[in-house]
Amino acid sequence: MNFEINWALVAPLLVIQAILMIIALFDLTKTEKTNGPKWMWVLIVIFINTLGPILYFIIGKKHS
Amino acid sequence: MKKWFVLHRKEWLEMTRNYKVIWIPLIFVLFGLMQPITSYYMPEILKNASNLPEGSVIEIPMPTSGEVLAQTLGQFNQMGILVLVLAFMGIVSSERKSGMLKAILVKPVRFSSYITAKWMSAVLLSVGAIFLGMLASWYYTVLLIGDYPFMNIVKGTSLYLIWIMFLLTFTVFLSTFLKSSGFVAAFTLLLSILLTLLTSLFEKYMEWSPAQLTNAAASLFISGKLEGPLMLPLITTVILTALILYLAATRKSSL
Repeated sequence: MNFEINWALVAPLLVIQAILMIIALFDLTKTEKTNGPKWMWVLIVIFINTLGPILYFIIGKKHS
Repeated sequence: MKKWFVLHRKEWLEMTRNYKVIWIPLIFVLFGLMQPITSYYMPEILKNASNLPEGSVIEIPMPTSGEVLAQTLGQFNQMGILVLVLAFMGIVSSERKSGMLKAILVKPVRFSSYITAKWMSAVLLSVGAIFLGMLASWYYTVLLIGDYPFMNIVKGTSLYLIWIMFLLTFTVFLSTFLKSSGFVAAFTLLLSILLTLLTSLFEKYMEWSPAQLTNAAASLFISGKLEGPLMLPLITTVILTALILYLAATRKSSL
């Protein structure tokens, strides 16, 4: 990688990804049960960016 | 009418509680921003990613603003539809599963207002999310690639949203009688893929197809004017949407 990344340009993307992750983690701390083990979802949300939080919102949440 | 608004407000409360109000628009803004950025950096990405011999020259013409926006629309048409359908697949079926539906219909509430309130909330949220996404994409395209008239964005996106509304209505409709929300998503996605595929394969016979609206919006973005059929798909889509919504709202036997 030898080209300059314009951080001002990419910053909004990172901010959005961070917001998605934070909301998912916040929701994880509040809910008691998820589909599948909770620690697994924490790892997915943190390490798979963008897709992780979406997956959690769509299939991870248990509907009471 | 007052009851309808109460139901509608309940939907928004529900969507706030499970954060749909936040994450769906954010995803669309993310997709919208990504497209102009990747188009802008594409030459450098290719230069760094491929194992080309020293000194080879790749010439990639920078896409025009219109093309980038049409690509954003294409992105919305794949990932966006997937997200929306998955987000709303359980809109009725999960409430029936949890017994919520019965609890609501015990009260003097008509089934049709329950369905239309749900449908309206899903449509409004999706419309808002897609507009925000296109707006983000337009902003970055203007910054990085070149100026583009804002009115074209509004027109093209509005056309495209009619197609999205059609798919959402179909999702709600399937959700009223299918037990598993997975099937709802699968069938809606199948419909969208089939319609898009058949429309591009048999263009002559598919002039009425709702998927033509996507093509119309894309051509509006690229060339600035509408090409191909417009009135026919517009009319069929609106009629089909109204019909499906009516069928969904009058299904009582499925309780």
